[in-house]
Amino acid sequence: MRLIRLWVGNYRNYESAELEPAPEGLTVIEGANGDGKTNLLEAVAYLATLSSFRGAPVDALVRHGVERAVVRAEVEREGRSVLLEVEIHAGGRHRMMVNRQPVRRARDLLGALRVSVFSPDDLSMVKGGPGERRQYLDEVLVALRPANEALRADVERILRQRNALLKQAQARLAERKRGSDQLSPDVASTLDVWDAKLSDAGEMLADAREDLVMALEPQVTKAYGQLATGKGDVTLAYQRSWRGPLSDALATARDEDLRRAVTTAGPHRDELSLAITGGGREVPVPLPARTHASQGEQRSLALALRLGAHVLITESTGSSPVLLLDDVFSELDAARSSALLASLPLGQALLTTAGSAPAGFSPARTVSVRAGRVEAGRAS
Amino acid sequence: MYASAVQDLIDELGRLPGVGPKSAQRIAFHLLKLPTEDALRLARAISEMKARISFCRRCFNVAEGEACQICLDDRRDASVVCVVEEPRDIVAVEKTQEYRGRYHVLQGAISPIEGIGPEQLRVRELLARVQAEGITEIILCTNPNIEGEATAMYLARLLAPAGLKVTRIASGLPVGGDLEYADELTLGRALQGRRDVES
Ligand SMILES: [Zn+2]
Repeated sequence: MRLIRLWVGNYRNYESAELEPAPEGLTVIEGANGDGKTNLLEAVAYLATLSSFRGAPVDALVRHGVERAVVRAEVEREGRSVLLEVEIHAGGRHRMMVNRQPVRRARDLLGALRVSVFSPDDLSMVKGGPGERRQYLDEVLVALRPANEALRADVERILRQRNALLKQAQARLAERKRGSDQLSPDVASTLDVWDAKLSDAGEMLADAREDLVMALEPQVTKAYGQLATGKGDVTLAYQRSWRGPLSDALATARDEDLRRAVTTAGPHRDELSLAITGGGREVPVPLPARTHASQGEQRSLALALRLGAHVLITESTGSSPVLLLDDVFSELDAARSSALLASLPLGQALLTTAGSAPAGFSPARTVSVRAGRVEAGRAS
Repeated sequence: MYASAVQDLIDELGRLPGVGPKSAQRIAFHLLKLPTEDALRLARAISEMKARISFCRRCFNVAEGEACQICLDDRRDASVVCVVEEPRDIVAVEKTQEYRGRYHVLQGAISPIEGIGPEQLRVRELLARVQAEGITEIILCTNPNIEGEATAMYLARLLAPAGLKVTRIASGLPVGGDLEYADELTLGRALQGRRDVES
């Protein structure tokens, strides 16, 4: 999978611009902060995911004062050239085209281009709450198998329905005050149905995540070893928020769930725990990465999570997603920057940087961005 | 902003499903330009429909009078009932020409987010029919999405003690979809391949 050419029109600070990355290896996009380097990576990723990796709302993507932005790319996929285009309307609507033919559903566009994004925000996978790590796992699951998106969405929908019912049941119990604390049979049997749905879909999602974590661990460990040479091993473990069958756990938790009007057991409460072990430390016990690892180790671990997933996706789908590395040097010391470049997998990569590249670093192409203009690329 | 009669019409149109404020405005101005007779024909069609059509007292399909066309047809097998969410789903099932029984329209699906539980649906009426009409098989033909599946499971559990055959249309329907958008062949096959519901 390869990005041959990118065009953007009225996108963020670009009126019109074109980018032609090197077909293989690393393309560096250099420029001062605020000139629009990251916007180009964001546009590429937008075609792949229909969302901004910076979490920006749609109207932030449209250049100030115009109605719509256009992002278009020529992509090579399994030896064939595909033209992808998305028109982004400031109101939030999309128009998508593949080979100039309009497509109605997002899933007809998604998958045509796949990317692996590395950004400074990745550190939140290590330092942030469990939700960040579950989101990481779910994104990798969808990249490996698009059908997993339906499973993830089902679990989310079932949880919303179950929580809405818990709130209604709680309100009704409160109304009855001194009456019995029994649920009406209608509410109880409806809750039974949502429990059954949640335990089916929830077990499936947790199983899929657990299998994924087992497949990821060796890849992440390997990537970590390359980034932080001789500084220990990484362990990944998937921890469910319940024991035994989820249906039993939901039955046990029912009173508590009714009292709090939230679902206390299920894949939405699970955790991907990360630990760095050994590495000449006094304490051989795994230490949770979030609390004990140094800043440098945490950055290496965040990068290793991305690299490991990228390698796993490449191996299991047989094609390498385009690597997008946003401002990664700003987060790393010189040794880690060099180690990252040395450990980049084969394939196409685009990297933005405001400063100087590490010594001994020779990209396949360098492109300069100055205040919303892309200046002719030069091969180095 | 506009003369109040125009604004009233825009507001009314904007309440229709799938009609946003922009479309409501466009339709209103289109009607304004239309010859009076054409516009009144639309108004008459709406008031006639409201005056003459109501819901079938047995199955809650749309009906002229007390019973719908299907309930009035004695060639239909009264022992089999196909349970759907909306009258439009009956149209979809009828197009397959695979089904000769009667229907029961729930008028929705269980969805706590929208405040819809079994008591907001025609569930009690379905239970009453089981006894009164000697029904032996019920086919749960709710939509293949989360709410439709949950409704089917709820009904299967509720009907289990009655000792009749309860089946669910087979998959093959696009998951997350609506029955009314399924093509006839797919829906026909789904009806033939119905299975017992896990309950
Ligand atoms: Zn009827």
